[in-house]
Amino acid sequence: MKACIVYTSTTGNTEEVATAIYNQLVSHIDTDLMSIDNFEFSTINMYDYFIIGTYTWGNGQLPTEMKALYQRIETHANKHLRTAVFGTGDRFYPLFCGAVDRFRDMLYEKTDLAVTFKVELSPQQTDYNKVPIFVDRMLAVQVS
Amino acid sequence: MKVDQPLQSIKLLNPAQPNKSTGIINGQSSGILNWNDISHPQMYELYQTLLGNFWKAQEINMQDDVKQWDRLSDTERDIFLRVNTQLASLDSLQTPTMTEVMHYVTDSSFKAILAVISQQEAVHNESYSYILSSLVPLSEQNKRFNEAKEDPIVQKRNQLILDAYQQFIDRPTPQHLFELAVNSINLEGIYFYSGFAFFYHLARQQKMLKTSTMISYIQRDEMQHAYFISQFIRILLSENKELNTEANIEYIYQTIGKAIELEKEWADHILKDIDGIELDEFHNYLEYLANKRFRQLGLDNYYPERDNPMAWIHVFSDEMMNETKSDFFEQKSRTYTKVSSSNGFDEL
Ligand SMILES: Cc1cc2nc3c(=O)[nH]c(=O)nc-3n(C[C@H](O)[C@H](O)[C@H](O)COP(=O)(O)O)c2cc1C
Repeated sequence: MKACIVYTSTTGNTEEVATAIYNQLVSHIDTDLMSIDNFEFSTINMYDYFIIGTYTWGNGQLPTEMKALYQRIETHANKHLRTAVFGTGDRFYPLFCGAVDRFRDMLYEKTDLAVTFKVELSPQQTDYNKVPIFVDRMLAVQVS
Repeated sequence: MKVDQPLQSIKLLNPAQPNKSTGIINGQSSGILNWNDISHPQMYELYQTLLGNFWKAQEINMQDDVKQWDRLSDTERDIFLRVNTQLASLDSLQTPTMTEVMHYVTDSSFKAILAVISQQEAVHNESYSYILSSLVPLSEQNKRFNEAKEDPIVQKRNQLILDAYQQFIDRPTPQHLFELAVNSINLEGIYFYSGFAFFYHLARQQKMLKTSTMISYIQRDEMQHAYFISQFIRILLSENKELNTEANIEYIYQTIGKAIELEKEWADHILKDIDGIELDEFHNYLEYLANKRFRQLGLDNYYPERDNPMAWIHVFSDEMMNETKSDFFEQKSRTYTKVSSSNGFDEL
């Protein structure tokens, strides 16, 4: 079994969350941590668990560099791929972590979405406390 | 580099130097800007987003607010005018200050963004005038601006920022630039928020919605300015080790801390007679706000960690602002069902 975390981060907030999740996950399962710039789309199907991390831009939108990944999953993913999405944003915008919601709705339909997680700017203690729960839900055997 | 040595106002064109600047201050830079070849490529995205925000006051029809104005209580009208002139006074400082900084910044892409910020501040400034002109005669406006200038609480509050801005104008050293930038976060990222709270509070009661629409545009711009200035400070410190000292980190905590105390004092004064805004809760809100500013600067929280106590203080949604969206998701008909607890799905 293998997991992959693919993220994008301009000012480092989403990267901090990605790293925290990685550190937790890697003690359970072989995990790759990758920035979207280095990610090869054709490798998605190599993974059993696929985790996406994104900040939100514009008006609750995906950052430009995440659009191709969104489209790729939309057209190529399968219902058995277990996925999760997390992100950072700012609650002063009307759509807090809108990019996480965008991914969530698509992943829910196209894949086996396990969990979502939103953080305001860089993670605080209460956010770090949620990381083990995030990982547990991700790895939990699905009861469907 | 000496942090107390004045920066040289840079030559317009330095043909022998690279287009891609080697630093945001004291860098080698030709002065020619090719956005495809810049040191911090993320700045292009930000520049485009800022431009995309373009709006002007006249596009917002004040008719509804004009009708409601007479139905506000005397207190509401009084606070409305005080807050308005106070915000206008702050924005008036920001346009020339950003221009001042431009003279010494050696990265052309940063200069361009500062030019856009300066332009947006000019629009904000005008929008306060536009609101005033729709509601009260010039004599009343002038009286209010004079009161704002003379109000001791306002003076005390503004002095913190004025001192930092003026010392950079008098002696433009790297240290003073750093201090100016921190105070710019105070101005754009903290001092506006009691005012925002007041206008959004009226909006919650369906009052003066056109004014709040403008406030929403202003807040969105200001949030992006604070995002930029935070990046500016972080890059400034990382490129210039001499500035990246414990004393300067302490300066950030002290100065934003001071601004928060002054903002609390101002809020107590201005919001005390407004029903529905608890002052204690607003103090907590300000501390939550300050923590966000610290984290944007890559620092730890200074105040206790807490959830946003006043979640209604935020930019209006597109529907409220009557904006037509044309994004990635509207181009194709992507019609995924919104996932929520009703589908048995809870976010963490
Ligand atoms: C231009 C701009 C637009 C933004 N729009 C949103 C938004 O609509 N919703 C949101 O929650 N955050 C928004 N944000 C905040 C960022 O998502 C937030 O700062 C995030 O933590 C950045 O992540 P990073 O450090 O990984 O780059 C916006 C920020 C900027 C500068």
